[in-house]
Amino acid sequence: MSKQVPETIKKQKKRSFNSKEVKQEKNEKRTKLLKEIQEKAYKRAEKYEKEYLEQDQKLKELKQKALKEGSFYREPEPKLAFIIRIRGIVGVPPKPRKILQLLRLRRIYSGVFIRLNKSSLRMLHFIDPYVTWGYPDVETVRALIYKRGHARVNHQRKIIDSNEMIYDKLQKYDIVCMEDLVHEIFTVGKNFKHANSFLWAFKLKPPVGGFSTVKKSFVNKGEHGNREQYINTLVKKMI
Amino acid sequence: MTTQQLRPIVSVFPIKGKVKTIKQVPLPSVFSAPIRPDVVRFVHTNMAKNNRQAHAVSTTAGEQTSATSWGTGRAVARIPRVKGSGTGRSGQAAFGNMCRGGRMYAPKKVWRKWHRKINTNQKRYAVCSAIAATAVTPLVMSRGHRVNKLPELPLVVSDQLQSLTKTRQAVKFLKFIGAYRDVEKVIRTKKTRVGQGKYRNRRHVLRKGPMVVYARNLGIKKAFRNIPGVETASVYTLNLLKLAPGSQMGRFIIWTESAFKLLEDIYGSWEKPSKFKSGFYLPRPVMVNTDVERIIKSDQVQTVLRNRRPRSRKYGKKIQRADPYEDMSVMVKLNPYYKTKLQKQKELEEKNKKERKEIVDKSRKEYEDWLYFSEEEEEEEEEEEEEGSDEDREIEVLSDEN
Repeated sequence: MSKQVPETIKKQKKRSFNSKEVKQEKNEKRTKLLKEIQEKAYKRAEKYEKEYLEQDQKLKELKQKALKEGSFYREPEPKLAFIIRIRGIVGVPPKPRKILQLLRLRRIYSGVFIRLNKSSLRMLHFIDPYVTWGYPDVETVRALIYKRGHARVNHQRKIIDSNEMIYDKLQKYDIVCMEDLVHEIFTVGKNFKHANSFLWAFKLKPPVGGFSTVKKSFVNKGEHGNREQYINTLVKKMI
Repeated sequence: MTTQQLRPIVSVFPIKGKVKTIKQVPLPSVFSAPIRPDVVRFVHTNMAKNNRQAHAVSTTAGEQTSATSWGTGRAVARIPRVKGSGTGRSGQAAFGNMCRGGRMYAPKKVWRKWHRKINTNQKRYAVCSAIAATAVTPLVMSRGHRVNKLPELPLVVSDQLQSLTKTRQAVKFLKFIGAYRDVEKVIRTKKTRVGQGKYRNRRHVLRKGPMVVYARNLGIKKAFRNIPGVETASVYTLNLLKLAPGSQMGRFIIWTESAFKLLEDIYGSWEKPSKFKSGFYLPRPVMVNTDVERIIKSDQVQTVLRNRRPRSRKYGKKIQRADPYEDMSVMVKLNPYYKTKLQKQKELEEKNKKERKEIVDKSRKEYEDWLYFSEEEEEEEEEEEEEGSDEDREIEVLSDEN
């Protein structure tokens, strides 16, 4: 006796959005897209490597030139800072508390990138005793994003598993892979805001070897406040 | 909303002879009214209160004493006590609801609200529902009627039924049509009432049997009067308490043909109002097509549905990932240029190393060369100095001997 398939089920199968053919098509599209993304990622990474080298070279040349002429070369002021909160939750007055919240530094040893301008510098001034910050170099930015970079996806914190994740969210800002993200953050590009907000605040470990004293500023042999390029060594200990 | 232009057909059966269709009539619109047990229940519970008779407790009951409280200090409760002496009654507590022979708590009054008003439309809604339910075999069966042997439900019978005068004829008809099983049930289950009703002139309890609905009483009333369980009713005055006894819908009804046809006029339809109930249209159902599953699976709905949201596997589970600085495969996945970069760095390092080595070797060689040549010069100088001194000494020795 042949089994009669009810018509509604036949129609349903034909119509089904999750049917085999549709799924196959989707998969094909996806694999193609992934391939494209990886190709782009390769090319862009290459480009950026060159760019960073060139920048370094340029800086050196300009400095040497100035030295020869007997003058100084004033480097451009840093555009990017990495802030790490080094004080806990308890006993923080309302103004610094609010600023820390705004900067997404809601727990101790959390870190964020921030663009430096007059307004943000003033914010940093208020929260100096609770944070330490400085100017990260490319390798620091890379290490943070690769090792501890989590994306904010659907109001969730997800580790950046593949370039596809970045593509989905930041494609419209022409950020398609990890290196793009690193570049955007490091050079504080046009879409720094979006690249930065894509990243969840970094959760770092307490530093290997410890702090001297958080109560004093870095300048006074303590730990808080601006420590310029020494942030790089600190991040290495905390990452 | 069915326009009922194409209404189902119901057969009309004769009252004797052979059980076969003698005529066909369209089903009145009432039978498609929405079946609302909640409305029927509400209306029934209130309607059932309307045939109550007032009762109350005597106003003087328990109050016909002149009892007074003895007050405190007498080692007795402070309840009013019957005055006087010489009888057992004296000193006994009185008046209170807790006292023996006292007045009850809140003595019942006749002016209790015994009857209930129900909105006319609600009443009519309930009746329409109840009538519709009488055509639904499962409902009639679940009410307990024995309807297995009936030729059809709703059961419509020729108008000759209305002219029956003898009970014998009526019983014969019921047997003929297959309705007597229901009557037999009633007879079989006649019992003495449980409770005090039995000595309050309500001794026996009977089930409800078939109800015969007629348009004109030409003797039918008397014919069916004495058959246990069977009730008759005029189609103009259908009573909800009979159509849905105990607010349970699905009474077994035997309609006469003219009564059946009159239903269309009495209750109207959704397009035409009732002729007898002014301004009354049949109640409209909330849903016309209640087969929700079928609606959802229909083409019209399915083609407009959006895609089922995919179980986005990529963002579903918590993704574990190795440290890219320790696991090369993870690093390459994130940065496909990384391997090339390492290679280039390596090449650069080696190049630098080579260059450095060359420079170091060169400078070392130069140093060694310089060292070698400077030693030779020194030796030559020393030799020259030694030869000069020997000659001078020989000459001096010769001069002394002369």
